[in-house]
Amino acid sequence: MISETQKWKVGQRASPQKLSSSKGLFRVGKGFALGSILPIILLIAWEIAARVGLLAPHLLPAPSIILEKIISMYRDGSLFGHVSITLTRVLLGFAIGTAAAVVIGAIVGYAKTAEQVLDPLFQAFRSIPSLAWVPLFILWMGIGEPSKISLIAVGVFFPVYLNIVAGIQGVDRKLIEVGRIYQLTPFQLTKRIILPAALPSFITGMRSGLGLGWMFVVAAELMGASEGLGYLLVVGQNTYSPDTVIASILLFAILGKGTDALLKWIEYRSLKWQDSINNQA
Amino acid sequence: MLNVKRLKRMFNNNQAGFHNINFSVDKGEIIGILGTSGCGKSTLLRVLSGLDPYYEGNISSSDEANNGVGMMFQEPRLLPWLSVRKNISFGLKKEERTSTKYQTYLDLVGLTGFENHYPKDLSGGMAQRTAIARALITEPEVLLLDEPFSALDAFTKMQLQDLLLSIWQKKKTTMLLVTHDIDEALYLCDRILILKGQPGEVFAEVQVERSKPRTRGDAYLSQQKAHILNLLNVEQKAAGELK
Repeated sequence: MISETQKWKVGQRASPQKLSSSKGLFRVGKGFALGSILPIILLIAWEIAARVGLLAPHLLPAPSIILEKIISMYRDGSLFGHVSITLTRVLLGFAIGTAAAVVIGAIVGYAKTAEQVLDPLFQAFRSIPSLAWVPLFILWMGIGEPSKISLIAVGVFFPVYLNIVAGIQGVDRKLIEVGRIYQLTPFQLTKRIILPAALPSFITGMRSGLGLGWMFVVAAELMGASEGLGYLLVVGQNTYSPDTVIASILLFAILGKGTDALLKWIEYRSLKWQDSINNQA
Repeated sequence: MLNVKRLKRMFNNNQAGFHNINFSVDKGEIIGILGTSGCGKSTLLRVLSGLDPYYEGNISSSDEANNGVGMMFQEPRLLPWLSVRKNISFGLKKEERTSTKYQTYLDLVGLTGFENHYPKDLSGGMAQRTAIARALITEPEVLLLDEPFSALDAFTKMQLQDLLLSIWQKKKTTMLLVTHDIDEALYLCDRILILKGQPGEVFAEVQVERSKPRTRGDAYLSQQKAHILNLLNVEQKAAGELK
C-alpha cells in the first residue's frame, strides 16, 4: 500500500548511521576545520606580535612561552595534579547539583501543590548572587573540599532545576492522554512519557549547569586552595608570571570545551529522534 | 456489548457538551457519530475513553475480557522518542513489549520494514497507520476513533478508510467513529447517530443497510447523504445566512 518512491524517500531521510559513514565523518571534520580557522589565525598573529615586540612580555607572553610553561608543568608532574583536582571538584559538584535538581525539579514540575510551596523559595534563593554563599560555606564547612563542592553544586542546581521544571510542565497534554488511555500509573506515566519528553530541556539545563560549574570552581579555588587551576591563577598573579595565568586560563578553556562536547555528544546520541534542524539529512 | 444510558457532560454554563445520550453498540458493529462542530462529539469519546471522568449517567460493558478501549485521535500522537515498533507496542504489558507481537500489526497496517523508523521520518498517513496499529495491538473491546482521518489529504484518507475496513473484515473490531464527514460515515458505518444542538443530543439514527465494502458514490449512499444533510439542516442554514 506504500509506494516504492515513498519507501525510497523515507529511507533517504532516515539513513541510520550518518555519523559512521565516510561522508558523515568528512562533514564532522569539515566543521572542526572551519571552527579552527579563526583560533589558529589569532594564535599566529599573537605569536608574531609577541616576537616583533609589539606586546610586552611581562603582560602578554607569546603562545610558545605559554605552551612551554604547560609542558614544563607536565614534566614536573604538577599539571596532572592541578587538572585532576579541579576536574574532580567540578564533576562532584555537578553530580550533586544535578541529582538534587532532578529530584526537586521532578516533584515541582509534576505536582502543582509542590510548585506553590517550593518554587517561590527556590526563586528567592536563585536571585542571591551565588558568590554571596562563599563566606557562609567557609564558615560552615571550613576551607576544605566540602565548601568548594557545595558552592559548585549550588551553581549547577539552578539552571538544571529551572529547565527540568519547564521541561516537565511543557510536556504535550496530548501525549499524556495517550498514557492515560493505557491506564498508566503516575509513576509509569512519569517514566514512560514525562521524563523522555522533558529530556531535551533537561540536557539543555545540564549544559548550562556545567558552564556555571566551571565558573564556580574558579571562584571556589580563588577563595583558598592549595591545588587546582584556580590556585594556579592566584600563584601566577602573586609571582608576576602571566604565562602561568594564561596557561591556566587556556586549560580552563580546553577542559570546559571538552566536557561540554561530551554532553553535546550525549545530547546528539539521545535526541536523535528530535525533528530539528540538526537532525536533518 | 457497550451500553450508554442517560449520559451527560456539560461545561461552559451548560452551553457546551451533551446530555441525554442513550445508545448501545453490538459486537462487531461500526457506529458513526456525526454532527456539526460544537455538539459534543469529541467530548462523548473522551468520556467513553475515560479521559474525562466528570460525567453523569451510566456506561456499562458486557465484555469479560476487559481489555479497555483503544483510542485514535485526530493526530497520530506517536511518542517521538520511540521507534515505530516501540510505539506500536506501547500499550502492551512489559513482558510483551519486547516480543515480536508488533509484527502482525505492523504488517496489518502495511508498514512492513518501517519498524525502526522514528515518527519524524514518517509521512502523515504512515504516522496514522502506526497509530492504528498501536490502538489495535491491545485488542480493545471497542476502538474509539475521533475524526481519525480529518487531517489527511483526500487520497490518503480513502486509503486509510479502506485499511480500516479491511482490518474490520479480519478482526471484527467494534468501532465508534466520530466524524464530520458524511461520506466517511456512510462508507464505513452500520449505524449513524446524528448529534445536534448545543448541548448536543441524539437527534436521529440512520441505518445504512448495505454490506461492506460499499462503493463510494453509490446511489443509495447519495440518497442517505441527502437525507442526513436534511436532518442536519445544513443547507437551509447556509442559505439563511446568505440572506
